[in-house]
Amino acid sequence: MRFYESASTLEKEQDQFDLDMKSFAAGEINPVKFKAIRVAHGVYEQRQEHTYMIRIRCAGGGITPSQLKKVAELGAQYGSGEVHFTTRCEVQVHNVLLQNVIKVIRGLNEVGLSSRGGGGNTIRNILCPSKSGVDPDEAFDVTPYTVALTTRMIQEEDSWNLPRKFKIAFSHSEKDVAFTQTTCLGFVARVKDGQKGFAVYCAGGMGAKPMVGHQLFDFIPDDQVYHVTRAMKLMFDKHGNRRSKFSSRIKFLWKKLDREDFEARFNEDYLPIKGDKSLNLVLPEIENSANDTDLVVEPAEGPEFALWKQRFVSAQKQEGLYCIKVPLQLGDLLSKDAYQLCDFLDHFGENTIRCDRGQNMRIRNIPEKYLGNLYHVMTKLDHTLVQFPAFISNMINCTGAQTCKLGICLPRGLSTEIRERLDKTDLDLERLSGFRLNMSGCPNTCGMHHVADLGFFGKISRKSGNLYPAYNVLAGAKTGQHGQTEYAKKLGEVAAHHIPDFVADFLGNYLEEKEDHDSYQAYLDAGGNDLIKALCEQYKEVPEYEEDARFYTDFGAKKRLSLDELGSAECSAGIFDMIGVDQKSIQAIEKAFDQTTDKDNDLYKVVFHSARMLLVTRGLDAKTDEQAFQLFAKHFIQAGLIDESYLTLVNAAKQRDLSALSANESQVFELAKAVNTLYKSMDDSLRFKVEKKTPETAQKTDSDEVLEKDFRGVACPMNFVKTKLVLDTLQAGQQLQILLDDGAPIENVPNSVKLEGHQVLKQEQDGSGHWRVLIQKVNG
Amino acid sequence: MNLNESQIERYSRHIILQQVGGPGQEKLMNAKVLVIGTGGLGAPAAFYLGAAGIGTIGLIDGDQVDLSNLQRQIIHFTEDVGRPKVISAKEKINQLNPEVNVVTYETLFTQENALEIIKDYDFIIDGTDSFAAKFLINDACVIGKKPFSHAGILRFDGQTMTHVPGTASYRCVFKNPPPKNAVPTCSQAGILGAVAGMLGTIQAAEALRYIIGIGDLLTNRLLVVDALSMKFRTVAVAPSELDITEFQTYEEVACDLS
Repeated sequence: MRFYESASTLEKEQDQFDLDMKSFAAGEINPVKFKAIRVAHGVYEQRQEHTYMIRIRCAGGGITPSQLKKVAELGAQYGSGEVHFTTRCEVQVHNVLLQNVIKVIRGLNEVGLSSRGGGGNTIRNILCPSKSGVDPDEAFDVTPYTVALTTRMIQEEDSWNLPRKFKIAFSHSEKDVAFTQTTCLGFVARVKDGQKGFAVYCAGGMGAKPMVGHQLFDFIPDDQVYHVTRAMKLMFDKHGNRRSKFSSRIKFLWKKLDREDFEARFNEDYLPIKGDKSLNLVLPEIENSANDTDLVVEPAEGPEFALWKQRFVSAQKQEGLYCIKVPLQLGDLLSKDAYQLCDFLDHFGENTIRCDRGQNMRIRNIPEKYLGNLYHVMTKLDHTLVQFPAFISNMINCTGAQTCKLGICLPRGLSTEIRERLDKTDLDLERLSGFRLNMSGCPNTCGMHHVADLGFFGKISRKSGNLYPAYNVLAGAKTGQHGQTEYAKKLGEVAAHHIPDFVADFLGNYLEEKEDHDSYQAYLDAGGNDLIKALCEQYKEVPEYEEDARFYTDFGAKKRLSLDELGSAECSAGIFDMIGVDQKSIQAIEKAFDQTTDKDNDLYKVVFHSARMLLVTRGLDAKTDEQAFQLFAKHFIQAGLIDESYLTLVNAAKQRDLSALSANESQVFELAKAVNTLYKSMDDSLRFKVEKKTPETAQKTDSDEVLEKDFRGVACPMNFVKTKLVLDTLQAGQQLQILLDDGAPIENVPNSVKLEGHQVLKQEQDGSGHWRVLIQKVNG
Repeated sequence: MNLNESQIERYSRHIILQQVGGPGQEKLMNAKVLVIGTGGLGAPAAFYLGAAGIGTIGLIDGDQVDLSNLQRQIIHFTEDVGRPKVISAKEKINQLNPEVNVVTYETLFTQENALEIIKDYDFIIDGTDSFAAKFLINDACVIGKKPFSHAGILRFDGQTMTHVPGTASYRCVFKNPPPKNAVPTCSQAGILGAVAGMLGTIQAAEALRYIIGIGDLLTNRLLVVDALSMKFRTVAVAPSELDITEFQTYEEVACDLS
C-alpha cells in the first residue's frame, strides 16, 4: 500500500540534484541558488552549516510500517538516529551531512516515499485528520481524496514552480479538525441529499500575517475536488505575486483582489474544466480492518493500563477496532523505538499509522484483544511521553532556533521546562486532555500558535542594551466549527524564563474555574483574558544581566541570545522587532519634543536610535552607544547608503557633544527621516534600493564615433583607473574623450595613458579650467 | 562582467597595473583557488587571495585554532582559539572582502577525497606542514593535471616552487619523503613567524600571476630563502621522467609548524 505514487521523472530529478550538490560543494553554485534547488527536494539547511534536514511527504499523514521503518533506518544511518514528526503530518530526518543527503533520498525511493515538494513553491503535504476513516462522528473518510489528489498533483509539471507554497487540507466532519480556514485551500466533508461533497474554503493562512480563509463554495459534489484544486493552482500561478515572497501566498491575492475579482479570476480557470469528467480523481479503496494474525495475546490489566487507555485509546467506528495515540516527546521517535513499533504493527496490516498535527503518531486498526500487547510495546519504548497526561504530549512546538535558521527562541527547551514545572504541581492535567498549548520560536507559525488555546511565539527583548529571549502570548482561538474560525489574540509578552511559572499559574486558575463556565472561551471572556494580561505584567520584567544572567540565555541554549547568526539567516521577523524598537523610540521623542525639558538629550537619543536602527540588517549588534555610532558611520555612511553630510552629526553624538546636536536640530530629525526612508526601500533580502551612481560602462561604438567620459571631480588615481576600464572595452583605433580637472589629474592621467601604449591625440583647457583629452586606443 | 563602482575602487591598484588592468582583475574574480591548510603558509596566502578578489577560495583544514598558532597564522585571532580554522579563516576573508565565495572543507586532505576536491579549482596552494601531505598534494595535482604552488618552512629557512603540468614536480626535487628520524621533531624545531608570511605571500603571488597569465612562474626552479642571512637564491630543477599515475602510501610525520 502507498499513500501516493511518485512522478516517473523523480529519479531523473534526483540525478540532477546529485550533480547540483556536487557543484555546490565545489563552490560552483552559490548558496542562494542551491537553496532554491534543495528546498524543492525537501532539503533544508539547519542552523549548523552543511547539516541538513530532509522532509518526507506523507499524504494525509499516512505511512506504512515498512516505510516508517525505512525512514528510521535512514535516520539511524545518516541522521540523528530518530524520526521527527511534524505539525504538517510529515516525517523528517535531521542532521544529515551534505554528502549523505542523496543517499537518504534514494533510500526513500526503495519504499515509495519522496521528499520532493517537502519545501519550495509547490503543493505541500496535503492534510487530513489522523482519525479520518475511523472516527464514528465523521461525514465520510477523506483519506482517499487526499491520496488521489496528492498523486495527481505531484505528477503535474506545473505544480513545481508556483509563486509560493500551496497548502491544502481536508476535514472529515463539520468540526473541522484540519483547520481548513487556516490554509490556502480547504475542503470540509459533508453529505447533501445523499451526495458526498465538500464545503470549500480558500485564501486562509497563518504565518506572520495571519488571515482567516473565506468560503468559496458551500457545497461541491465530491467529484469536483480536482477541478477546484486545479483551477486554484492555475489562478495562483498566473496572478500570484512572485516578486516578494512575503506577500505571495494565495491569502495575499485575495486581500489584493477582494472576493468579486478573486472569484472572477478563479472562475476563468474553473468554469472551462468544471464539466470535464475525464479529470475526476480515481479514488483508491482504503480499508480500515485488521489483518488476521496468529500473534499471541498478551493481556494487560490494572489501574495503569486503565489510565493508559483513558489517555490514549479511542474506539473506531469499525466495531472492535481501536485507535491509539503514541505520545512523542517533542515529535521525536527514536529509530530503535520505531523498529519495535513497526515490527508490532506489521501483524495488523499496512494501514495502521498516521502522523497527527500534534507531532504524535496515531495507530489504527488494532483489535481490542491486542491492546494489551500494544500497551506492553509502548511502555517499553525509551523516548515517549506515555507516562504523562495527554495534555503534555498535545503541546505543540516548532523545532526552533536549534535547527531552524529562522528561529529566534528555543521552544523545544521551553516545552521541556513547562513539562517539568507542571510535573511539580498537583494540577489535574487529565482534565485538560483537549487543551492546545502551542508555541513557535518566531512569528512563523510552525508551532501553530494562532489556533492555540494558549499560544506563544518567540521574540527578542532588550534590557539595558542586553538581549533576552521572550515570547508573545496569545489566547482564545475559535476552532471546531468550519466557517467560524478566529485566530488567537495577542494579549501581552513574557520573558522566556518566566513562562513555566506563567503557565502553571494560568492553568491552576483555569482548572479551578473550569466547571463554572460552558467553554474555555466563556472562561476567557469572564476573566481569563484579564488574568493573562495581569500575568504578562507580572512576568514581563527580567533582572539586569549583571544580577541574573540566566534570563539572557534561552532554555536549552549553550550561549547567550545574540544576533550573530541572524544576518546570514533568511529574512527573519526577529529583525523587524529590533528595528521597531528604535523606530518607535524616535517617533515617541519626535512627538513629545515640543514639551520636553531635556532637548539636548532627546536629540542625542534620536541620533542614537537612527544609528542603531538598521545595524541589525547587517548582522551587527552594538554593545555600546559609541559602537552604534561607529558601526553606523562605517556600514551606512561610508557604504554610501546614508549621505555623507550626516557624518559630522554622528561623530558629534559619538563624542557626546550635545551642543553640536542642538545647533543642528533640524538635521538630527532629517537623519532619522533618511534612515526611515532607507528602511522603507529595503527589499526582502535586506538589501536597500539606493540610487547608485551608474558604473561607467562603455557601449561599443563605431570607430569614427568618439565616446566621451566626464571624470571631473574624480581624484587621482581613480580617474586613471576609470579611463583605463573604458579603454579596455574599446577596440584598437577607437577614440575616447575624457574630461579632467586641472592640477594633478591633467599632469598624471595623459602620461599614464601613454605609458600603457595609447596615443594622446589632443589635450586642451576650456574656459572653466577643465581639460579635454582625446585618446586613441592603440593595442587591441 | 562589468566591475561596479565599489569594485573599481577596491581593485584600483590592480587595475592601474599595465599587466593586470580590468581584464586581469576579471580573471581573478572568475578564478577558483584551493588553499590546503590554513596555517603559517595558508593563512597569509588565503588572506592575500581574498584581498585580491579571487572569486572562489576553497579552504581545507581539519584543525582548530590553537594559541601557539597565532604567532604566525595571521588570519586567526585570539578569540578564535578552539574554533575550526576553516571557519575562522572564512570569516576573516569575508570581513576583508565580502565578495569572495569561500568554500570550507573541515577535513583532512586524503587520497580518498583529493582528486574529487581539486578537480574544480584552477590553482592549488600547498600550505601543509607534513611531508606526507606535500607528496600527496604533489601526486594529486600531477595526476589531476592541476597547477600548484609548493612551499615549506623551518626555523629561518623556506623554499618554494610552482608546478604546472609538464614542468618539474616536487618529486623531481625529492623523490620520496625523508625517513622519520631525519625530520626535526616539533620540540626541536621552531619558525620565525614572518618567514611563514614571506613564503605564503610568495605562493599567493604565484597564484595571482598564474591566473592573470603574466611573468615567469617559479617553474623548474626552487626558490630557497635563508632569512637569517636574508639571502634568496633559485636552484634549477630539471623535470624528470617520473611517471606519477597513482597514489602511494604516505606515512605521516607530522610537525606542527606551518
